[in-house]
Amino acid sequence: MPGCQRYERPKILTTTAVIFWILNIVLDTTGHLAFKSVATVGHTTELERWKKMLALPTMWLGIVCFVFEFVAWLALLSLIPLSLALIIGTMNIVAVMLAGKLLFAEQLDGMRIVGMSFIVIGVALAGGCA
Amino acid sequence: MKSRRFYILGFAALALFDTITQISFKFATLHAGEFSLQLSWLRHVLLSLPIYGAMLGYLGSFITWMTLLKHAPIGPAFAASHLEIITVLLISFVVFGERLNSAQLLGAASIVLGVICLSMSKAKHPDE
Repeated sequence: MPGCQRYERPKILTTTAVIFWILNIVLDTTGHLAFKSVATVGHTTELERWKKMLALPTMWLGIVCFVFEFVAWLALLSLIPLSLALIIGTMNIVAVMLAGKLLFAEQLDGMRIVGMSFIVIGVALAGGCA
Repeated sequence: MKSRRFYILGFAALALFDTITQISFKFATLHAGEFSLQLSWLRHVLLSLPIYGAMLGYLGSFITWMTLLKHAPIGPAFAASHLEIITVLLISFVVFGERLNSAQLLGAASIVLGVICLSMSKAKHPDE
């Protein structure tokens, strides 16, 4: 990208860092989708709802995803500055919204599309110029 | 209808807890060093004191989030939960001496704008 002065310093976003970033997005999105799909289970009481949810394999898929996301996030933070990690980490918001649209037919109104675009542009600027 | 002060305090608490979590995470990884595919790395992280600060931060923001959502509209709550970007950025500059170049700062501003847009969306929010 022009104007980034990327030749003047060592590359921060190494292949390993990018892998952990993508892993973080995949785990976060899968976890949220798993929780969303079990959260709507039919129930009469709150206790029954939790019993039903905990009996579903999808619930455990979600829990496992978030445990591994915790490790992937720590790994990413050990490789790149916190400020950069936090900025490119906002890609999770976009991924979860797109997945919600695809799998649960959730609405994406104009305002939401504009917001998502701003986030993608921001991530591209910060990540591309790292 | 809760008072204005309730929301301001609630959103501030949310941002505070999220900030504590992220700063603690970074401290924990500084303690353990660069990632390596070994259990000893994970053990170093899990045995460091800051990681428990991160977990306390998680707990605090979870409780605050649940309390806020009983009364607050989801849009502003969503925005507040992500605007910790600003506070964490400021603290990482001061505490960890991190620097972003002008293109990255522009990127951060674009993301903040994006989060504000998302919070103003009238479509049904996924969390509702």
